[in-house]
Amino acid sequence: MITLDAEKLYAARLHAVRSRPYLATALFALQVVESWRVPTMGVDRHWRCYVSPAFVDRTPVEELAGVWVHEVSHLLRDHHGRSDRFAAEHELTGPGERLRMNIAADFEINDDVYGDGLVRPEGAAVPSLLTLPDGHLMEEYLRWFRLGPHTDDFAWLDCGSGADGLDREWELGPGGAHGLSEQERDAVRFRVAQGIAGRPGSVPRGWLRWAERVFHPPQPWRDLLGAAIRSAVSASGAGEDYTYGRPARRSTALPGVVLPSLRRRPPRVCVVVDTSGSVSDAELGSALVEVAGIVRAVGGRRDLVSVLSCDTRVTESMCRAEGITLVGGGGTDLRSGFARALRTRPDVVVALTDGQTPWPTTRPPHRTVVGLFPRPRVVDEDDPDYRPDAPPEWARVVTIG
Amino acid sequence: MPAALDVAADLLALLSDTTTEPRADNQLEALTLAVSADLPVLLWGEPGIGKTAALTQLADALDLPLTTVIASVHEPSDFAGLPVVGDDPAVQGVPMAPPDWAVRLVRAGRGLLFLDELSTAPPAVQAALLRVVLERRIGALTLPPGVRIVAAANPRSSAADGWELSPPLANRFVHLQWAHDHDVVVRGLGGTWPRATLPLLDPGLLSDAVAFARRAVCELLAARPALVHQLPTNEARRGGPWPSPRSWEMALRLVAFATAAGVSREVLSMLVRGVVGDGPGLELLAWLDRMDLPDPEVLLADPAAAVLPERGDLRQTVLDGVVEAVRRRPERSRWDAAWALLVLALDTGAPDLVVVPAATLAVLRRDDWEVPAAIDRLSDAVSVSRLADRAADRVEARSGGRR
Repeated sequence: MITLDAEKLYAARLHAVRSRPYLATALFALQVVESWRVPTMGVDRHWRCYVSPAFVDRTPVEELAGVWVHEVSHLLRDHHGRSDRFAAEHELTGPGERLRMNIAADFEINDDVYGDGLVRPEGAAVPSLLTLPDGHLMEEYLRWFRLGPHTDDFAWLDCGSGADGLDREWELGPGGAHGLSEQERDAVRFRVAQGIAGRPGSVPRGWLRWAERVFHPPQPWRDLLGAAIRSAVSASGAGEDYTYGRPARRSTALPGVVLPSLRRRPPRVCVVVDTSGSVSDAELGSALVEVAGIVRAVGGRRDLVSVLSCDTRVTESMCRAEGITLVGGGGTDLRSGFARALRTRPDVVVALTDGQTPWPTTRPPHRTVVGLFPRPRVVDEDDPDYRPDAPPEWARVVTIG
Repeated sequence: MPAALDVAADLLALLSDTTTEPRADNQLEALTLAVSADLPVLLWGEPGIGKTAALTQLADALDLPLTTVIASVHEPSDFAGLPVVGDDPAVQGVPMAPPDWAVRLVRAGRGLLFLDELSTAPPAVQAALLRVVLERRIGALTLPPGVRIVAAANPRSSAADGWELSPPLANRFVHLQWAHDHDVVVRGLGGTWPRATLPLLDPGLLSDAVAFARRAVCELLAARPALVHQLPTNEARRGGPWPSPRSWEMALRLVAFATAAGVSREVLSMLVRGVVGDGPGLELLAWLDRMDLPDPEVLLADPAAAVLPERGDLRQTVLDGVVEAVRRRPERSRWDAAWALLVLALDTGAPDLVVVPAATLAVLRRDDWEVPAAIDRLSDAVSVSRLADRAADRVEARSGGRR
């Protein structure tokens, strides 16, 4: 019987820490549990790391280091929590589905965790084995493949409940010794994220993206844009006012009491669309449908919603259920679009643009929501210092896509 | 033959015949503490997940009568007060008459006021309600200190008409996310609902708790001045908690209450993240963890009695702290004590943790200091380090060969 070669195991962790200093806190927080039941190495959701002595014996130190980083990545990226949520959302049950989640989680990790001092372990699952592209999230991979003969090579794969959320028999469970509580797990993940944010230069992009989002999962832009427009449209001052025109409906029941009466006229919304060549039709289409839907949902009548297409010229088109015609294709100056919008006396102006435009210098009298299509910065060869202006302070900006 | 409704009543009685079982409930503990601390709480949660049931349990536990006001069926004047024209308005003025529930609350002097469905109320009603929550005034009445207020709102993405807090308002609330626990729901529908034991303040701990909370928050903010005030800039974080002097004061109060009640870090985590936001909240919690760690100076003074933390990452922090303390004031006796601590760390835990501190400590040696005998016992760490070095060389050679 082989005893656990602790020296080798910890030497591998030391090598992992040396090549990935920003993961040190997380690697050191793992509690090692020797286990004959785990095939290789596995983690549970309480940050225990189960290690097979036979696996340590047959694996070289540099590969073991890669496995350490791989296992801790499952925990840092909350693969068990995400697996549970995905399973609940799609009503997936059974060990087969959990194996699929383990494979997808491995895909997410393995495409950028190795190299630069770390060796990819023998037989690691990478997306290219299923002819899938690199650089995606576990949830995306899960939509792209099913279990079948082509995944048979991965059937041995078992990173423990920390990777796929399915509790194993050999694991110590929530009551066992040396587990980390939820708050402690968050604290470790937070410290790692802070470490990464502190030295972004030496960290791969996948980790940078993780550190940015770990405690602020990106909200879908549809929700944000909807909330911004709804709040602009329904805020006091937009389309509603107190009136002496008619008494409150409760007045007759309460003689001697003066009751205010609230009247509401539907808000007038003007959508200014940047139809310059730099904005693609697909982008515009999805955003415009979204805006029209939201405005209708909050009670905007069709005749109160106007749409302006704006490149160097401004063209007006009415918002119709069957579709909106947009004219354009040249450069942009949204200032003329805003000026023209003002003539419709709107309560709210929604501008959809990629931001490569000058903005009005003074605050307009209406509320402004900007749906911004993100663009990588293009360097102008004639004027390398040129930066497009950021949307003004008074506008609420939602990044789309 | 029994009347049809009598049979129905029997069936209803059978259905409502459920039992309870004790079960820890972090959400409810956090809510209880925030309400005891007299801070306005805002529960964010989808409709129908048991917010009202939780409030009923809370009212029972605090022994307060519960008044529920559904905001969406009221008019602004129900909260701002109804102007009643008297005999001579020019002399007496026009009083703002409060609604009956407010009068009853004030007369009772104590109670739990639950403002439900804030998000579906029209904006003007919401505006009137915020005055109730923040200034505790309803018309001409002021709510007595014995009245505690909890409000509930649906998350922004699911709210039909976009209830949203401006940053100054968001800054005044303890934001608690309310979610249902799948197991609890299934088991409850099966006939057994959970019964939470709620935290109680220990009268003997009060002054210690205040001192601890003040020290924690002040030391953190002294070290990290940027954390004091950060307006939310990101659209996704609007309407949520953010750090400011006001919300730090709330955090301080919550730390003191949590300490006096002895609740878990999970509960405290929900609370402080609910007032200052995730990032600053986690920093405060990390700071509290660090305050729990042994002081390097104490360890150096008596290494024989030292107890190092079990968890590797905390142990690493302590050992780094010890070496740093020696570097700041290098003395022979302190240097020896540090070696003794490293040997202790090696005897009681993983060897790779000791490698870096040992190397740093070795560099601090002065010429006339003799190498302590204890250093021989660090050979395990040395061989671990050598194994890792060799692995690094092999990786280097392999990638070099490929290039």
